Amino acid sequence: MFYAGRPMDVACLLIPDFLVALARRDNPALRGRPIVIGGSPEEHTAVAACSREAAAAGVTIGTTLRRALALCPDAVFLPLQEGQAASEAAALFDLLKLYSPVVEAIAPGHLHFEMRGLPQLARLEPQHWLEDLHQAAEAATGLPIRLAGAPAVFAAHAANFGEEGSRRPVLLREDDAPRYLARLPVEVLPVTPAMHQRLRLFGLVRLGQVAALPFAAMQAQFGRDGARAWRLARGHDDSLILPASEEVRLVEEIELPGPTALSEPLCIGTRGLLQKALERPEARGRSLRKVEWRVGLESGEQISRRVVFREPTADPARILFVLRPKIERLQLPSAAISLGVTLSGLCSEYGHQANLWPVGPRRWRELVESVEQLHARVGEPQVFRIVEVQPWSRIPERQLGLVAFGS
Amino acid sequence: MVSNSRTPAGAGGLRQLNGKQGFRPLNQPVPAAVEADGAGNPAAVLWRGVFRRVAAIHDTWRIDDEWWRDEIARRYFLLELEGGRRLTLYRDLCRDLWFAQPYDRPRDAASA
Repeated sequence: MFYAGRPMDVACLLIPDFLVALARRDNPALRGRPIVIGGSPEEHTAVAACSREAAAAGVTIGTTLRRALALCPDAVFLPLQEGQAASEAAALFDLLKLYSPVVEAIAPGHLHFEMRGLPQLARLEPQHWLEDLHQAAEAATGLPIRLAGAPAVFAAHAANFGEEGSRRPVLLREDDAPRYLARLPVEVLPVTPAMHQRLRLFGLVRLGQVAALPFAAMQAQFGRDGARAWRLARGHDDSLILPASEEVRLVEEIELPGPTALSEPLCIGTRGLLQKALERPEARGRSLRKVEWRVGLESGEQISRRVVFREPTADPARILFVLRPKIERLQLPSAAISLGVTLSGLCSEYGHQANLWPVGPRRWRELVESVEQLHARVGEPQVFRIVEVQPWSRIPERQLGLVAFGS
Repeated sequence: MVSNSRTPAGAGGLRQLNGKQGFRPLNQPVPAAVEADGAGNPAAVLWRGVFRRVAAIHDTWRIDDEWWRDEIARRYFLLELEGGRRLTLYRDLCRDLWFAQPYDRPRDAASA
């Protein structure tokens, strides 16, 4: 039997202190010790993340590393491994995409996603569905994960942020949400730290206290943020999950008719691949910025080259013009047996303003003389060119003008 | 060397160019016959010899400039006539005359 009331629409997945959790997973000896991430203390950079133990000593994100050392001499200082964090976050995002079609990445290790109707599809109760997901995510990442499902984004988000420690996934029903939210600290509200501090100075520590105030009082004291905080504290939230737009990538691959180490067959094959990719419906009427070219070798290796265009293009000849020198310079350790291209960075069609005639200096002189002859014959200018006169003007007729060609 | 035809003529360029033989300003306003309603908004426009009713006013904005010289005060209307034709008109608030002039709303123009 499913829960009564409004269905659980959204969920929040959170790995608290993501960077610290990664460091502790890779080195279990760090558990319980204060950690500061950002580099070694002699570096002139700032703290990128810190553990709760370090935070308790006064270290905050943005503090200089030297200051962090002074505040917490026992801390373990670790370098910021952005690449690893990004790939772990991407892996978590991909895992969640297997469970929900609408996933929004809020920050590394923090995702919101829709779960409306998904437990029913899996013939599970929402709590069991979330528990399955929780187990799968913890097993895949090896990281402590918090999950909360609720009828609205803020309730799910607040349920994860408001309580310490690991626990089973939380599931809030619409009628439970206000009571649950009431005991959470005001710091879960998505407002500025200054407003959190002001709320505390007013003696407002829990969301329940905020919700109990008259709406007008919150609005009068804090303006628009106050009105929003009051609504959120009562569980009223109509914000939506905005899924990440997926980049269109066009991939084409061929097996070469026979192994080769010559550049010309590779160029011919590349031209064919580019033409095939650019004729696909997804590429029609669009230009691209990035091309990844790769060749598979008999030895099993793969060599790739990436080209990023300053101006987007949809012209296979131009793409090949840029790729050809890279292909010709290759010294393949063994014969090539396959080719592939991936086109990405697709954007709207990009136009180039071409000259009216292919004008060289001599041709230009002839043209100017012909136009001047025409002007002299008629007695007044007949051919004009557009010039920007006052492009900054708000008066439309001042912006552009025509001047006699050749003047 | 061929000069770039899109190069701005520079500050004061208009006055210099206006006196120059062969200069023609572009996008000059064209007088228009307009019937306004009580609020001063266009209700019908003479278009190709026939008065056509204004189906919708999609946008309106005001330009005030050069009060120190020949004052310019215009209220622009981006409107749609019956039949789907879109037009940009403005009412010259100094002379109380109507003109047609293709023009996009400038970003900094105060909304009406």
